[in-house]
Amino acid sequence: MNTRTAVALGLGLAFAVTACGDSADDELEASDIDGSISMAVTEPEILIPGRQSVAFDFGMAVWSPLIYLELDGELNYIQAESVESDDQTTWTITLREGWTFHDGSPVTAQDYIDSWNAVAYGPNAFENSGQLANIVGFDDLNPAEGEPETDEMEGLNLVDELTFEVELVGPDSQFPVQLTQAQTALFPMPPSAFEDFDAYNEHPIGNGQFAMVDTYVESEPITVRAYEDYAGDPPNIGEITFVAYSDQVTAYTDALAGNIDVSGVPANRRTQAEDDFGADRNYNFEAPGMNHLGLPLWDERYDDIRVRQAISLAIDRETINDVVFGGAWEPATAWTPAVMPGTPEGICGEYCEYDPEAAAELLEEAGGFEGDMEIVFPGGSGQDDYYNAIANNIRQNLGIEAVAAPTVDWAEFAERRENAEIDGPFFSRWGALYPSQQATIREMYLETGGCTNCVPMYLPEIEEALAEADATGDESGEAYAAVHEILQENFPVVPMFFETYSYATSERVEELVTQPGGNPRLSHIVLVDED
Amino acid sequence: MSRFLLRRVIELVIVFIGVTFIIYAAVFSLPGDPIASMGGDRPLPDNVVARLRAEYRLDEPLIMQYLHYLGGLLTFDLGTTYDGRSIADQLAARWPTTIALALTAWALELFIGVVLGLVAGLRYGTLTDRTILFVTVLATSIPVFVMGVSAQLIFGLELGWVPIAGTSEGWPQAYVLPALIVALYGLASASRLMRGSVVDTLRSDFVRTLVAKGMPSRQIVGVHVMRNSAAPVLTFLAIELGFLLGGTIVIEGIFNIHGVGGLLFDAIRTQQGPLVVGVATALILVFLVVNVLVDVLSSVLDPRIRHD
Repeated sequence: MNTRTAVALGLGLAFAVTACGDSADDELEASDIDGSISMAVTEPEILIPGRQSVAFDFGMAVWSPLIYLELDGELNYIQAESVESDDQTTWTITLREGWTFHDGSPVTAQDYIDSWNAVAYGPNAFENSGQLANIVGFDDLNPAEGEPETDEMEGLNLVDELTFEVELVGPDSQFPVQLTQAQTALFPMPPSAFEDFDAYNEHPIGNGQFAMVDTYVESEPITVRAYEDYAGDPPNIGEITFVAYSDQVTAYTDALAGNIDVSGVPANRRTQAEDDFGADRNYNFEAPGMNHLGLPLWDERYDDIRVRQAISLAIDRETINDVVFGGAWEPATAWTPAVMPGTPEGICGEYCEYDPEAAAELLEEAGGFEGDMEIVFPGGSGQDDYYNAIANNIRQNLGIEAVAAPTVDWAEFAERRENAEIDGPFFSRWGALYPSQQATIREMYLETGGCTNCVPMYLPEIEEALAEADATGDESGEAYAAVHEILQENFPVVPMFFETYSYATSERVEELVTQPGGNPRLSHIVLVDED
Repeated sequence: MSRFLLRRVIELVIVFIGVTFIIYAAVFSLPGDPIASMGGDRPLPDNVVARLRAEYRLDEPLIMQYLHYLGGLLTFDLGTTYDGRSIADQLAARWPTTIALALTAWALELFIGVVLGLVAGLRYGTLTDRTILFVTVLATSIPVFVMGVSAQLIFGLELGWVPIAGTSEGWPQAYVLPALIVALYGLASASRLMRGSVVDTLRSDFVRTLVAKGMPSRQIVGVHVMRNSAAPVLTFLAIELGFLLGGTIVIEGIFNIHGVGGLLFDAIRTQQGPLVVGVATALILVFLVVNVLVDVLSSVLDPRIRHD
């Protein structure tokens, strides 16, 4: 019998293969602080805070912000000792003494100025440079054509080793909130970073609670360990390992098996997460994400405000929330997320409630709706159930032939929306980086905002009301209610949901703590006592 | 033989240029702007987009972009992705994982396929033969993600025999389950081919002579039948190896194995033209080389096959 030959051949191959296997189990030195956790993330690729797009959790571990925004809205001064201004335009930032980067060099005002200039400098093409756009001199570093003549922003001035001044293009009461943790482009980089950004990306050095242990190698886990000389409050745990997953569902299953401690809950597991993990290991964190149903205001069928209101009335947000999001989201009743201070919840009033009869009547008053309706959303993003449900509501309650139409991918969707090549309602959301209503309003309702055509109605009144609120407002955010009133009167977009971000944990985690960004606050995680 | 080799190499170059151009053009023609979508749903500032477009020559016509890319290839420069990471480095990081997975799957497929085929061939027409056919075809007809996720839940979560995902536990634990699933899909073909071959060989004159001569059947099957039945299966399996090295996108995704398949998938999703072509080019090379090897091997194994 020839099985022997085959077995031998198989074993031979097996040995050949072993040589190619991974060897990532290097033993790491233990930290002084007990406890370590692992978190499932998307492959970050870019770790530099001025460039990253999916390395938030890593960034918040390795860097400390000037100010930490606490859950109750309090501004907790971390790296900054004070941030002050008399006129809301020129701000003086004073740093705390005795803080160091992980390479031992002190954190100085000059480091902040150099870092912000490098992020803003056009030829560097840093993806998150927009976070600095309101500083005087940003435009000089980003001329419409040609190379910039300078590499320094005029609006940044050194006062002494630990103090610098920032001049903004206009008064902005929310500037301190912009200095908080999720605006990663504002994190400081040490002098060594500027010599070679590629090298810095492989081994970023920050001023935060955790320092990177090894060099970053793509697709291998990233381990960060508590920084011994950290001048602020020490974290609860000594070590965090970020493990990249290409499929979120796999991460979810791995968390279920206890192989990974913290994982996001993918869209198609939302409804079963509580059954799988139990209520105390499944977390839904309020997030500064605002989910709208965008309307193609360039199409004259949507000119009549009653048509727009009718669409809003025809959608059963409660049921969609229960069926699609496992009840984790919150039906929207205003135009900015509820988590943002001062959001006037309920201002949308009757138009954000489900009332199919009123919807049908309103549409009839407006003269009905001609033709079919295609609800366009980015395909491959797991949102099919959500948009199918909206289409069903509109079809049943308004009698319009509505279908949900996914694009091939995100890129196609972004291009079509940007060029106004969509003739039906569409996906429109904005996840703000700092929980001030300003962040959402600025990006969604100003022509210069980042969310192009998310709400294609750019009213001068909104711009004025926003500028007014920015200049005169305070931390309560109540001044922004004026903007909501204008939106309510014009109804340019249908508010759908205040989003939450969902996480699940292994049995090792006693409590996962969040922060206003909706992400977990890993340094404050509480582990189950294992002794 | 050398003329044969030379001809194959020239063919290889032509196929190579044609295929890379087609792939380049296909990625180029995808809707949407790869730079604009780099920031996810958080658009990049206009000046950053403009600068990156210029840097990666995205404003130039397709043919110029392609020629520039080809020029880079001549100096062994695979280029960079649109966020500035070296494509060669990424490939180098991913290949070992994919090779480990592919060879494991291939070895399993070879071993199980040959054994099943042999058994089915020797028991031709019996219940055993039919059962093997039924089971292998059934396995092939289950969608791969259903098989993958179910296997994960059963062997990883419930029984805890193997890790659910990732390669951190190294070979073989982390690779056995995904490799077995990949192998399952080739088993029907491999075992059918082997079975047919065995049946043919068993009926041939020389086997009848050996039987008449009184040679023990263990020796007839083990030496003579095996050797003479192996050629078609080996050809099939060699080509199969080419496929396996191409990475198995779904399996790599489900089992969180960061191999070439996943890289290709991400590259297409983010419309990274140079990266797609880089991965595809490497795969084409593997395929072409494997093909040449198969041709050479089969002519060595079976002198009746001539290529000149």
